[in-house]
Amino acid sequence: MKFLIADDAGVMRKIISRALIELNALPENIVEAENGKQAVEEAHKHSFSLIFMDWNMPEMLGIDAVAAIRAAGIKSPILMVTTEGEKANVVRAIQTGATNYLVKPFSPDDIKEKITQLIGPIPVQTPQDAALAKAQALDLERGKVTLE
Amino acid sequence: MTPITNSKAQIDASLVNAVVSATTNVLRTMASTEAVLKEVKAEKDYRPYGDISAVIGISGDNGEGMFALSFPLELVNLIASRLLGVSPDKISSEDRCDAVGELVNMISGSTKSDLSQQNNTIYKLSLPTVIQGRDHEISSRPKNNPYLVVIFESEGKTFGLQVSFKTY
Repeated sequence: MKFLIADDAGVMRKIISRALIELNALPENIVEAENGKQAVEEAHKHSFSLIFMDWNMPEMLGIDAVAAIRAAGIKSPILMVTTEGEKANVVRAIQTGATNYLVKPFSPDDIKEKITQLIGPIPVQTPQDAALAKAQALDLERGKVTLE
Repeated sequence: MTPITNSKAQIDASLVNAVVSATTNVLRTMASTEAVLKEVKAEKDYRPYGDISAVIGISGDNGEGMFALSFPLELVNLIASRLLGVSPDKISSEDRCDAVGELVNMISGSTKSDLSQQNNTIYKLSLPTVIQGRDHEISSRPKNNPYLVVIFESEGKTFGLQVSFKTY
């Protein structure tokens, strides 16, 4: 399972990463983006099990990134993680294509609960499993399967 | 948001309540750190405070202003270490800046939500900017406008939040 965390604050990306890792995600399966534009680019490159999206970011706002991701037909669940707690913004985000909403500040338990609610438990994966999945993905891209 | 006056009797109580509630809640929830309100006062202008500040702009239909959150270095290292779950000696300058920036983002965001609901007005926030150095100045700030100064104590150290809002 692969995850994308889009937030301009490095500290927030680290907090969300830590919650994911405590829920069994592998660090090498967590991709980070510092703005909405990077988030859209990464969403085109990989298939993410869950995307975390801040609202206020440079280059492109998170809400615009959500719109661009949905316009591209990408169906990964998107969790908005933002200080924009007004009801009108929550409604706007959901109407734009966000799957769920978490208002900052949040406790480690709050975000873990949201993650589990959205995608269920993250299965335990060894680095070998991750390498195998990566190799399979590469071979599929080349149009052949050569795993022994 | 109503203007802050330089008379203590006329400090906007709803703004003070929103700011205090947001600050204590953000630190408790995100960093397991308690902050106790020590002082609330109105000043004629911004006063340099602490070693590091994060500033965020706020604008609405009826005016604009800023929030400036300032910490001494030792306290911000401790809070950043709790946010990140590492020991304070592992905190880099980048972590420190990021932590203060994100704290002011969350505090101003919570305050904004509270005030939007109370005043039925939409406010917008800018991205945070971080300034470091003893007695640092904030050049881009509301001038000739009173500031609400709120001082908190946490872990035996004080930190401050200064808020100014200029109505059109």
